[in-house]
Amino acid sequence: MVVLMRFLKALFVFGLAFGQDAGRRPDRVVNILAERFTYNPSRITVKQGELVEFVLISDDTDHGFKIPAAGIDIAIPQQGMGEVRVRFVAKEKGRFGFECSRACGAGHHLMRGELVVQ
Amino acid sequence: MVNIHDVTVVILYHQIMAKMGRPILAGILLCLAPALFAQSSSEIERRVSELEEKMRLLDPAFGKGISPQDLISRLDQLEKKLNGILAAREPEAMPAPAAVAPQVGPALVPVSVSGDYQASPAGETRLPVSGYMDFHANKESGESFRPDFHRFVLLFGHSFSDRIKFWSELEIEHALVEGGEETGEVAVEQAYLDFFVKPYFNVRAGMLLTPMGIVNERHEPPSFNGVERPFVETLIIPTTWRELGFGITGDLGRGFRYRTYLTSSLDARRFSGEGGISTGKTSGFDASFRNPAKVGRLEYAGVRRLTLGSSFYSGHAGYRTPGINPGVSIAEFDGRYSFRRFDFRGLIAHTWVTRAGELNRRVQQQTGVNPNIGSQMRGYYLEPAFHMLRRPARYDLIAFARYEKYNTQQTMPPGYVPLPQFDRFSWVTGLTFKPNADIAIKFDYNFNRNRSSIVQAPNGVNLGIGWWF
Repeated sequence: MVVLMRFLKALFVFGLAFGQDAGRRPDRVVNILAERFTYNPSRITVKQGELVEFVLISDDTDHGFKIPAAGIDIAIPQQGMGEVRVRFVAKEKGRFGFECSRACGAGHHLMRGELVVQ
Repeated sequence: MVNIHDVTVVILYHQIMAKMGRPILAGILLCLAPALFAQSSSEIERRVSELEEKMRLLDPAFGKGISPQDLISRLDQLEKKLNGILAAREPEAMPAPAAVAPQVGPALVPVSVSGDYQASPAGETRLPVSGYMDFHANKESGESFRPDFHRFVLLFGHSFSDRIKFWSELEIEHALVEGGEETGEVAVEQAYLDFFVKPYFNVRAGMLLTPMGIVNERHEPPSFNGVERPFVETLIIPTTWRELGFGITGDLGRGFRYRTYLTSSLDARRFSGEGGISTGKTSGFDASFRNPAKVGRLEYAGVRRLTLGSSFYSGHAGYRTPGINPGVSIAEFDGRYSFRRFDFRGLIAHTWVTRAGELNRRVQQQTGVNPNIGSQMRGYYLEPAFHMLRRPARYDLIAFARYEKYNTQQTMPPGYVPLPQFDRFSWVTGLTFKPNADIAIKFDYNFNRNRSSIVQAPNGVNLGIGWWF
């Protein structure tokens, strides 16, 4: 019983964290190139309900990637150090800004973009 | 900034605590318990293995040393790890549920974060400030090397909210500043507030970098080749050119974005024949807003690894030359493109100064020296570069050659003769080695020439190391 309860607790917590969507194939994969001081593309349109995966890669220093609406704020490793994959479900329609959250140079504040959920 | 642990724990915390709470969690556990009894032990073991795999996404070291046969120990470890993560986050998250909850709204539901975001060099320490440093050793032909800690720059920022942010850049040049001595300088390169309203319309005010050319707004040492900045982006377009002002910025979509400001004007009294208008930047000191200058830049970055930009500047610069208020206009076009292991960048800029003849006479009256200011100035450069190591790679070795043509007396006002030594061109060729994307060790050789048969331009060799952190 103890084993089962512990297993159940772990399963439940992980289920919430990753959910069924974690193993699901994303409906849309968007490759985003980050470099001083742009995201390319900087405006991304997806459909409501889609499981979206952003594949983020940097062409120079390490950058940040923050979408306040999703509570996501991560670091993109510098050039040659790999990529980051961010998955989320676009539950509601709207426009959601994202920005670099890691100081990357003189034009750091220019590094912004917008996710449009239609 | 948070890493994988933070992101995942935020997800865990908000979904469990904010939405359901512990009592509900316990209830659900009890409700689901009977279903678990129905599962076979092999099924449970398989699911536990899956959970361990997922946990290893959070902590690659998780599970080492645990016997695969010992299911209870494995669950103990899982539970312990989860409790540790939750306990670590609760003190931060609990005091501010109202502030955090709106951020994790229902609109975008995070599912997972994976990849190499933990792959930054082990042992790197991220400081609360950023900055860059630039150490040079320059040698002109016939002279010895002159070492120079050229730039020591610290950047500070602050977010008052998601919509109001502050950014600044404080520079010490040449390592030493003494009152009244010809040594270095301490300068505020930029210090401004951004008010983010809409992606296509934001307001900016303070000490601003003039949005012109490639290097002025993008001058971190690893972001350009060559120890020194291009001559064209020093003499035809001043760098680092900053003025007091305000304006609007925005992203127009489809890869287009803009910045347009009203700024303090240049000081025509400090223009010169050799340095053109570059010597007339006020850098926010003793500046004038009587005739604010208009400057704008439109950029296109809609194609991956291609950036095209064009800037235009127009203003009057005569606030210290009474009776003469010459107009200054600059038009500039630049581009950067990377294709496989090749990089290309280029820029062309042209400057017009109205009433240059009257300005020369007025400055001569004031200072006793004829500055010989041209009425037009022009410069351009082209720079191909080749990454000698296959990409992507941890290290980068770039060979480059840059041809620059720049004339600060392209056209002279009536009655003035251009000096041929100011009609210059240079080949700058060298190597940039990056042991890390944020560190650039540079070497270049400059072949400098001009049109004069009397005044020769010395060649130069430069060594440098610059870094961003």
